[in-house]
Amino acid sequence: MIGLNHYLILGTCLFGIGIYGVLSKRNAIAVLMSVELMLNAANINFVAVNHFIRPDQAIGQLFAIFVIVVAAAEVAVGLALILSIYRHASSTNLNDFNLMKW
Amino acid sequence: MGYLLLAPEMLLTVLGIVVLALGLILPQRGKKVTGAVAMIGTLGILVVVFWQFGYEAEFFQGVYGIDAYSHFFRVLFLSAALIIFAMAGNYLHLFSERQSEWYSLMLFATLGMIIMASSGDLITLYVGMELMTISFYILSAYLLDDGRSAEAGLKYLILGALSSAVMLFGISLIYASSGSTVFAVVYQTLQAQVVTQPVLIAGIILLIAGFAFKIALVPFHMWAPDIYQGAPTPVTAYLAVGSKAAAFAALLRILVTALPAAHYNWTMLLAILAAVTIITGNLIALAQRNVKRLLAYSSIAQAGYILVGLAASNVYGFKGVLFYAMLYVFSNIGAFAVATLVETQSGSSDFDAFSGLAKRAPMLAAIMTICMLSLAGIPPMAGFAGKFYLFSGAIQSGYLWLAFIGLIMSMVSVYYYLNVSRLMYIGKSSEQSVPVPAMARVALLVCLVGTLIIGIYPQPLSQFAEIAIQVLY
Amino acid sequence: MSEHATIGVFLILTLVFPIAAMIAAWLFRAKPEPSEEKLLPYECGVDTQGPSQMRFKINYFIYALVFLAFDVETIFLYPWAAKFQSLGLFAFVEMIIFIAILVVGLWYAWKEGALKWY
Repeated sequence: MIGLNHYLILGTCLFGIGIYGVLSKRNAIAVLMSVELMLNAANINFVAVNHFIRPDQAIGQLFAIFVIVVAAAEVAVGLALILSIYRHASSTNLNDFNLMKW
Repeated sequence: MGYLLLAPEMLLTVLGIVVLALGLILPQRGKKVTGAVAMIGTLGILVVVFWQFGYEAEFFQGVYGIDAYSHFFRVLFLSAALIIFAMAGNYLHLFSERQSEWYSLMLFATLGMIIMASSGDLITLYVGMELMTISFYILSAYLLDDGRSAEAGLKYLILGALSSAVMLFGISLIYASSGSTVFAVVYQTLQAQVVTQPVLIAGIILLIAGFAFKIALVPFHMWAPDIYQGAPTPVTAYLAVGSKAAAFAALLRILVTALPAAHYNWTMLLAILAAVTIITGNLIALAQRNVKRLLAYSSIAQAGYILVGLAASNVYGFKGVLFYAMLYVFSNIGAFAVATLVETQSGSSDFDAFSGLAKRAPMLAAIMTICMLSLAGIPPMAGFAGKFYLFSGAIQSGYLWLAFIGLIMSMVSVYYYLNVSRLMYIGKSSEQSVPVPAMARVALLVCLVGTLIIGIYPQPLSQFAEIAIQVLY
Repeated sequence: MSEHATIGVFLILTLVFPIAAMIAAWLFRAKPEPSEEKLLPYECGVDTQGPSQMRFKINYFIYALVFLAFDVETIFLYPWAAKFQSLGLFAFVEMIIFIAILVVGLWYAWKEGALKWY
């Protein structure tokens, strides 16, 4: 029988994969994709908890909807920013963005 | 009053949309009018907020609440936005035609901050925070022709998105352990549980880590200097003052009303973060040769001081947090306003551009010095009173070592603040004078008067902060 | 039980129909030896030149961004529409305001030339 714990473990694994992607990938678009994985990991948690702990209130599902919308806005702005920086640096590799250093 | 209490939020939304629409309708993208409309509108909303003082209401079963605490932060954010609008004036020519969008985005960022400070629910808090941060992603990349600005925007986007994902995962774990996202209900559920679940502890730690990113606490501060240096200077000022105050407002409300220290003791965690932040921020600031970058590191250190009050976790410390956040508006924006004017004239914010400023523009040099002394905590400037509240709060709850570190590091900070003053007063001067538009003059005067009056006569602000804090208990 | 039977019938139909169509096409099609010309990706028109991994016009990108934002906003309309009867006038007005704000965004994109194709 698949229960809440399985979903929470799935969410945590996905979150870990996302963090690994953010830290290891050098391409800005790949990093954005990894961040999306992390957000969706949280979404899995929300929906699963909603289903198993508080099925009477749809708070978790509601939160998931808001997260999806906010993530889309974030990605739209992110891609536009990557486009604008591509015009300067002709690259989407994060290692090339080093105009400022301490 | 009912829903009328939400009037400032609604008016701010309408104002943002109107400013955007004016840019679409009017010739030249409404370059001449939008600034005035945004400023008058913000001033009007500020008046509405003052008029609503003393009224309280809860909306949608505690999801959103207007109380003295929200009033305090509404005043803070709106006046910060107003001062920045006034001082930005000439700098905006760098944006050429795209000024109406700039004002509109700044207004939406302000709306996000206000929502963060008044939300009584994790969903509302998250949406408000994202409204603020997404506006800031665009604002920090606003100088499209400058590679550094675009770089700042992208860096902020990636680290900001990462931090909100971390915070969101923390929120999901808190939801898992309490079954609700409304602060009051979370509090009741957790109070009823006998054993503290490990899931809850993980959630709280991730939540605090997410906020630490937003506030730029060491070790989550890496993004701050680059973004502060690369972003347009008025945006940097708002980022340093507004987004930090908003994150502190939300964090304080969550920690006190949903997760009180009696349940899971987070004060030690915050105290260690504060100590590391104060030490690192001040020490790295010593080595800086660019005023914007110096102010970035100094504002990391300032966030550390404010966190001392949060770690103290008593009324005195919390009052200090609010008090310091308010005086920080005047002192820090004052310093950034001078930097903006100098940068508009010389096109650079390196130390060389400030050399001999006292001969070219004595008023600017004087205001810069006073604001920086306030940030360093020298009496009779406002910063001294703020640090007094924060550190005595820490001593009351037994964090003597933390107050000690804060005091020592404040003395260290005097060195690099005065270093800038020395450069302005003794350094070699070029002949060019720095033009100061009338509105910027008003903004500078407000910052100066605010810094001095709060320092000399702190009682009214301190009482205001105390009333605001009492609501949370 | 009868509901499940209906679904079962649909399932069988959906499987049978395409297979039958493909068999019919195979039966009736003309069967010459395929020439080299016949096997090209584009049978008629101009021959392809150069590699297929080329850059797209930037217009596609802006279109995609605008589409992404508006597409995802519609997610809020679904729960509202499903509960429309019980939510009443207040929710209706709220949704009108929400859509009005979106329309301002669309107006902005239009004026900025994001929807222009050239």
